[in-house]
Order: sequence, then structure tokens, then C-alpha cells
Amino acid sequence: MNPRKRTGGNVVIQSLEQIGNGGLFLLTLLAAIPRSLRYFRETIRQLWFVGAMSLTIIMVCGLFVGMVLMLQLYHVLSIFGSTSASGMVVALAVYRELGPVVTALLFAGRAGTAITAEIGLMRATDQIDAMELMAVDPIAYVATPRFLAGLIAMPLLTCVFCAMAIFGAHLVGVTWLGIDNGTFWSNMTAVVNLRTDIVNGVLLKSLAFGLVVSLIAVYQGFATPPTSEGVAYATTRTVVASSIAILALDFVLTAFLM
Amino acid sequence: MSQPRSSYAVGTGLFIVLGFAALAYLATQTTSIANVHQGASYTVEAHFANIGQLKDRAPVKIAGVRVGQVESIGLASGQDAADVKLSIDKRYDKIPLDSVASIYTSGLLGDQYIGIEYGHSKKVVADGGTLALTKPAQQLEAMLGKFFGAGGVADNLGGTYTVSARFSNVGTLSVGAPVKMAGVPIGSVQAVQVDPVKLDAKVTMAIDKRYNQIPDDSAAAVFTSGLIGTQYVAIQPGGSPDVLKNGSQLILTQSAMQLEDLIGKFLVNGSSSGSSKSSNTPSGKH
Repeated sequence: MNPRKRTGGNVVIQSLEQIGNGGLFLLTLLAAIPRSLRYFRETIRQLWFVGAMSLTIIMVCGLFVGMVLMLQLYHVLSIFGSTSASGMVVALAVYRELGPVVTALLFAGRAGTAITAEIGLMRATDQIDAMELMAVDPIAYVATPRFLAGLIAMPLLTCVFCAMAIFGAHLVGVTWLGIDNGTFWSNMTAVVNLRTDIVNGVLLKSLAFGLVVSLIAVYQGFATPPTSEGVAYATTRTVVASSIAILALDFVLTAFLM
Repeated sequence: MSQPRSSYAVGTGLFIVLGFAALAYLATQTTSIANVHQGASYTVEAHFANIGQLKDRAPVKIAGVRVGQVESIGLASGQDAADVKLSIDKRYDKIPLDSVASIYTSGLLGDQYIGIEYGHSKKVVADGGTLALTKPAQQLEAMLGKFFGAGGVADNLGGTYTVSARFSNVGTLSVGAPVKMAGVPIGSVQAVQVDPVKLDAKVTMAIDKRYNQIPDDSAAAVFTSGLIGTQYVAIQPGGSPDVLKNGSQLILTQSAMQLEDLIGKFLVNGSSSGSSKSSNTPSGKH
């Protein structure tokens, strides 16, 4: 495990090196899944930490995203006298783009940084080396449970985010701005498609984002230079790399799935 | 994280249940399960001269009630017509053979769907059968389509030549607007200027060199695409043996119409002269 050689200089070479190391690390993580089944409780604990503990921020953010989208759309669409379509636009925007992307960004900030910092600190304080001395596989015990937890948590969190966004849109649109309740739902159900919007949009995208964010978080943790400055550096890198990866991947996925 | 160990499992379980509940909510409450769920169905074909914006999985309706969906859209082999396969629910298998399939639009700007009006035949259309009587997408849709697409300007690959025309009123005609003949774009408007002496508008148009056989007594008119679309210059060919050349001027012009005049014209069903008179007394013509 010596992923970062600080050779400096060429950014392209460094990025390629990062991507290559990340890919190899992903294979290592996947190969360690059978071994990490022994630490099943650890996976559950991590799922509780990255998933259940993130619920509050995801729900609040989803609610506000739905509310503000509805507010904006209502005022624009009222120019054309088609405010009843705003619920459906909120649903499409949230399912196809905002839900997975915003959840992934929040997840990277909330859980990804925590994973990186925790593993980085373990490295800085030689806990990883200690595990190896005690014949405990740090990949199977530390890395894979966190990776799996992120992978499982992301789609679930995205679903919660989307549901809250719809709830927020309903709150603002129907309760506050007075769009007809029946029109709101019937327009939405007429346009939203289970396969292209829910499965492709929400589930597939969030699964891909979950994979990328958890991989980056765990990888950066293990690649942390074992100093306190290194932990700070790695945590920052997790957020930056995750955000870029999420948005770039989102474009690629949308281009392929649409 | 001071909770006792077992509460992790409980909390995580709750989280997973909540996530799946949210998914179930999204899937059942906000999507059209009806669009996806198809019971036993049978397939009927219909040929349309023009399907407009019809898409796969568009609804098929009888008397406004959804009975199936569009399965596939293709070009009928060897014909200038669209071949649309309709997948219709088995429960509605009593559709007369001479029923008429038409393409409608839900609302003004909504999606298109296929409506089937029952005929009087005793024979019903069977699985794999064809509905022979169809009506293509309506004219209003073509107009609204123009509103969104605003006509396309011809490419200038072959080079252009310039002609000018004078209008007493160009409405909202702007630089870049298409110049059309027989509805086909043949050039674009290069400049719109007001003449400080004659106090009218001089419109300079660049016309593709491929169209160099336009008679020099042709008329130019400012028209509007659709009801609320952008304006363009339409050239109506005359009968002169001489053709337009670079720098020619079109003498016969018709200025942009006011919407009020246009509506008046619609009401009296196309009287070509005296639009202002007819808009004042729209019923007098009948």
C-alpha cells in the first residue's frame, strides 16, 4: 500500500496514477468481500454510521430542494399559465439529476470525509500496522465494510431524498401556492416512468455514485500520508475528487441512459 | 456513538426499511404503473401519413379511456407512411374493423396520443390486424411544431445573391429570419433598415444561388409561422420570363399582418382582399 509517490510535476501523469491506483484498490476491495463477511457486524455498524446518521441532513436538504424548485417553477410557469405542470417538472428534475447528484455530494461531505479522516488517523497512529501485526486483514476489516456500507447506503439515501423533495414540492405547490392536488399528482404520474426515471435515474445513478464516492473516501484514507497535515490533505482531496467524479460521471451516465 | 451495540443493528434496520419505503413510495405514487404494467394484450397495426410527435409508449385511447400503448413506430416498407404498432389490452377486443385511428394532442402543448373512434362494422380487428382508416397528426400540430422549430434557414453552401424589398410594415421581422418559397427556406434576411426619405422598411435578403430562377415580378410578403411563431418572408413566384439577379428589388410586397386582421380572415374563411374591412365586419361575408 504505497499509492502516492509525490513526484510532483505533471498533473496528467499524477491523475492517471491516481485513477490506476484507485482501480487496483477497487479490485482489492472486491476481492476482500468474502473475507470481510466475518466482520459482518462491522459492515452493519458502518451502514448505521454512513447511512442512518446521514438521514437528517439528507431529509432536510431534500425537503428544501423540492420546496425551492417548486417555488421557482411556479413563478416561471405562471407566465405561461401552466403551473399545474410544475409538480411533474420537479419530479423529473429530482429523479433524473438533482436527487442522485445532490445526495452524492452531501454524502461525500458528510460520510466520505469522515471515512477518510478515520482511516487516515488510523494510519497516522499506526493502528493499521498494528492490525497487520495481529494478523487482522485491514482491507477486510476496515476498508471493505466502509466501502460496502457506502455502496448500500447511497441508493437508499437517494430514495429518501427524492421522496422528501416530492413532499416539499407538494407542501409548497399544493398547500401554499394552491395548485390543485389532483392535477399535481396526475400530471406527475402521467409523465414519470418507472424504468427510465426511477430505475435508471434514481437507482442506477446513485449506485454508481455510491461506488465512486465510497471508493474515493476509502482509497484516500489508505493513501493518507501518516501526519496530521496529511489527514487534512486527504480529507480535502476526498471532497474535491468526489465532487468532480460525481458531476463528470453524471454527465456520462445521462448521455448513456437517456 | 455511545449507543449500545445492538442499537446499531436496529437503527440500520430502520434506515434500510425507510429507504425501501421511500423507493416504494416513489415507484407507486409518483409513476404511472399503468404505463408499465401491461396485462395480456394484442397488437394492431395502423399506417399514418404523418405521426407528428408521437412517441413509443404513447397512450392509445378509446373515448378518452386508455386501452393500450404504442408499441413501435417505423417507416412502412416501400411507402411514404409511418407504420405504428399498437398494443391494446385484451379486455378491449371488440374494436370494429372500420374504426378510425387518429393522432391527437392532449391539450395545446401536451403529448400526442392515438384515439380510436369506433366504426359500424360487425367484424372486429384481430391480433396482428390493421386499422385501415387513419387520420394523420392535425394541422394545428404542424403549426405548433413550427412555433417550436421556427423553420430552419437554408444553408449557404452554394453561395447567395442579394435582393431587396420594401415594406410599409415588417412587424417583428428580424435579421436572420428565414426567406421561404412554397414553405421551403431558400435564404435568410440579412438586414432590416428604415429608409429615412421614403419612410418605409427596406429588407435585404440573401437567397441561395441554387434558386436562381425566381421571376422578377414575384411578390414578397411577411408571414408568421403558426399562430404565435416568428415572422419570415415568403416569396410568391410571379409569371415574368426574367429572373431575379443580385441587387434586384422586389416591387410587389405585402406587409406584416396584424393579428387582429389574421383572426378576421380566419373567421370569414379566407377572403384574400380587404383584410381590414373584413375584420371590421367578419360576419358580413357570409
